[in-house]
Amino acid sequence: MHVDSSDSLQLHKVVVVGHVDHGKSTLLGRILLECGRVPEDRIAHVQKICSDKSLQFEPAFLFDALQEEQEQGISIDTTRVNFEFEGHKFILIDAPGHLEFLKNMTSGASEADLGILVVDCNQGVRSQTERHLKILNMLGIRRVIVALNKVDQINYDQTIFEEVCAKTREIIEQQEIICEQIVPISALAGENISSPTSKLEWYVGKPLLGTLTDVAQKLNNIKKEDQPFRMLLQDVYRFEGDRLFAGRIVSGSIKKGSEIFFSPSGKISRVESIEKYLETDVQSAKAGESIALRLTEQVFVERGEVISQLDNAPEVDTEFRGKLAWLSAHSFSPETEYMLKMGTTEVPCRVDVIDAATQQKQLASAENLINGGFADVIIKTSKPIAFDRAATGAIVEKFVVCTAYDTVAAGVVDNRPVRVERSLKVNPNLRHELGYVERARYEGLNKHRGTVLWMTGLSGSGKSSLAKELEKALFEKKCRVAVLDGDNLRFGLCADLGFTPEDRSENIRRIAHTAKLFLDTGFIVITACISPYARDRELAREVIGAKDFNELFVFCPLEECQRRDPKGLYLKASSGQISAVTGFDSPYQAPQRPAVRLDSSKMSVAQEVQAVIELLSRNEVLPLERALTNDLPEVINASGLRSLQAIND
Amino acid sequence: MSHYLDSLENESIFIIREAYSRTKNLGLLWSMGKDSTVLLHLVRKAFLGNVPIPLVHIDTSYKIPEMITWRDDYTKNHNLRLIVGGNKQALADGMNPNMGRLTCCGALKTQALLDTIKEHKIQALLVGIRRDEEGSRGKERVVSPRPESGTWTYKEQPAEIWHYYNLHVPESIHLRVHPLLQWTEMDVWEYIRREKLDIMPLYFAKEGKRYRSLGCSPCTGTIDSEATNLDEIIEELKNTKTGERAGRAQDKVDTYAMQKLRSGGYM
Repeated sequence: MHVDSSDSLQLHKVVVVGHVDHGKSTLLGRILLECGRVPEDRIAHVQKICSDKSLQFEPAFLFDALQEEQEQGISIDTTRVNFEFEGHKFILIDAPGHLEFLKNMTSGASEADLGILVVDCNQGVRSQTERHLKILNMLGIRRVIVALNKVDQINYDQTIFEEVCAKTREIIEQQEIICEQIVPISALAGENISSPTSKLEWYVGKPLLGTLTDVAQKLNNIKKEDQPFRMLLQDVYRFEGDRLFAGRIVSGSIKKGSEIFFSPSGKISRVESIEKYLETDVQSAKAGESIALRLTEQVFVERGEVISQLDNAPEVDTEFRGKLAWLSAHSFSPETEYMLKMGTTEVPCRVDVIDAATQQKQLASAENLINGGFADVIIKTSKPIAFDRAATGAIVEKFVVCTAYDTVAAGVVDNRPVRVERSLKVNPNLRHELGYVERARYEGLNKHRGTVLWMTGLSGSGKSSLAKELEKALFEKKCRVAVLDGDNLRFGLCADLGFTPEDRSENIRRIAHTAKLFLDTGFIVITACISPYARDRELAREVIGAKDFNELFVFCPLEECQRRDPKGLYLKASSGQISAVTGFDSPYQAPQRPAVRLDSSKMSVAQEVQAVIELLSRNEVLPLERALTNDLPEVINASGLRSLQAIND
Repeated sequence: MSHYLDSLENESIFIIREAYSRTKNLGLLWSMGKDSTVLLHLVRKAFLGNVPIPLVHIDTSYKIPEMITWRDDYTKNHNLRLIVGGNKQALADGMNPNMGRLTCCGALKTQALLDTIKEHKIQALLVGIRRDEEGSRGKERVVSPRPESGTWTYKEQPAEIWHYYNLHVPESIHLRVHPLLQWTEMDVWEYIRREKLDIMPLYFAKEGKRYRSLGCSPCTGTIDSEATNLDEIIEELKNTKTGERAGRAQDKVDTYAMQKLRSGGYM
């Protein structure tokens, strides 16, 4: 095996930003000359161009190679320059400063891990200085080094330098960006770039490239492997009969044999093997790797899913808050349907520009959202999608907005949730009146404990059927049992509620409180409602109390639910007659740690009932002798194997 | 953090998989050179050893003869699907470098490429160009949309942000996909050495001469070199003072020759 010094090298991508003519391209050219491998014939080529145009040697021409760029002395598009310094390998990304080329600047900057902000000592902070910082902030680039350029033109004057420093720091602090160091340089004269200069004796820090190396080293120590596992599914390949799930790990790591979770579909499987060409028996893979997975349990999923671990999945929803930068010469148009790309998903969406504080739609700001503008938005998608919020540390949070063929905006998911909590006002003069009979005495009378079996699952997954059979089975065991069926409650208690996220939350709140009333008199309460949002189920858990809250995940693949379609909902949804059908165009956030997971496409109802009874006896809700008596009514067995056929389909 | 060759490899595989998943009729432009060889290897990595797309070679009829022999042996031995394109009309009319190198490149390479794309209804083509090869390639996007005329509108390129490549285009547009854009000449050689790839022998020195870059025989020169193996090539590159395409005559016809060729649809 060949070993040389470059074997340990890692790659850092650094974007150089700043106002027009502050010297970004000249700085890149200078670095290239000092540290890059610039062939002599390329330098000679630039020398000839410059002498033909009667210009001083212009290092920027080494990569601003387009005729138009050289004739006008500008950068139109972004480019990359490779160089090595003190054992680090860098790709420097040049970013054009003109506003009309902002999409080119953003295209370049989006790849970077850190930024160098070039500020002209004579001019100080200008419009694109600020705009570029905002773009970096939005792109998630949180560290910059400031290069205060043209220090030769202020005669290396420390006082002027300090003044510009203060103003620069001030605008950086307005963003969530750390200013690592401010370095005085002269790009044209090549001063304080790779080595210090005697003209800047008052400057105590390292020259620019030394500073860059230090910061790059710091970035190395942040390990993406330690974040939650996320893999973007790009494709499912069928080579020689094998189904291979191909994609890239964007954070965290995965081991052979791990259980995995797909979002937004909510499917679960296990990694049988990690596949890489020419590598056998791969035990694990980490952030950055492009891999393929072979699964033990076949699932039918398509490109666009995010693969995670079971207990740390991304959010699933049809709306989210975000911040975006508009990057197109065509202004935003509020009524247009755009395409959202997030991870590997592409889905039609609507974009509402909102006021950051009140979350109200802002028509005036929407109309003014033009190239280079920033906005707070709510994005509503036509299908559920998976994403992370920035604060969770996982990284499926960056998105772009497109028209049919063009990318027009780039953004990140905001931490703040879209939905506003219904404000519940309890009169402070109220007191909780205690009942005469305590729950324990009811339970003594009933000869079993009270509890809540909270079912959750898609429409058609078999919640109501299971609820009925459970009710029968428990009744046969002489238990006090109450069924709260979501559909039934919508005829009375919840008749005023629809299917918006807010109404669904209110529905769950009412059912949770009703269940609690029954629980207080010692009942075993069975709830059967979709309860699609994890947040709402958490609220129910709080109302009922964690000890008495048993989450039963009635799992069934969407395709099977659609095939069953007992209420004809999916048919109506696919023909456009109704909307907000869970799993179809409304999100279902699958529970990640349910008390029991019942796969109704594989288990009979009788088996499901048995599993729940076992749970109840394990939790000592039912006394042991009553749990063991096998007096299930025959009727279950008659209708019980309703879906075994589905497995063979 | 990973070794930089792993970062480059993983990035390229991601791009190849995106192109394959999002476009119809993807092809791989294959010149049998070092970059094409790396690209083909990355395709195999992306598809777990399979090559589910055709290779496309544009034959100008002026290629160095060893290249064609090597091409035919290689595709036969590896059971690869090969499409060979060429501008037969121009050749019949006697096109050759003496009619002007750029005219010749335009007819025998650019036009032949565009005709082949049209004939085989290729929507996207993986092309192994790199930013460090020459100035105009430095300005490329990973995914570059081209109309039927092949024109590169370098002044108005689409935004390409994060990994969101613009792979959805109208039917009249074809895409040049550049998975190696970020690689350097040195990266390519170090990767060939690490992965032990089978490479065309013309790159190795014979009697003090070798090819650093391969093209048509009238316009491609050799360099003085004693490098007879990969280690020696890499060592030589570390100390070289000339550019990779110094032996390519068409680049030097005028100051912006490559920009002119490439804005007309050259690879």
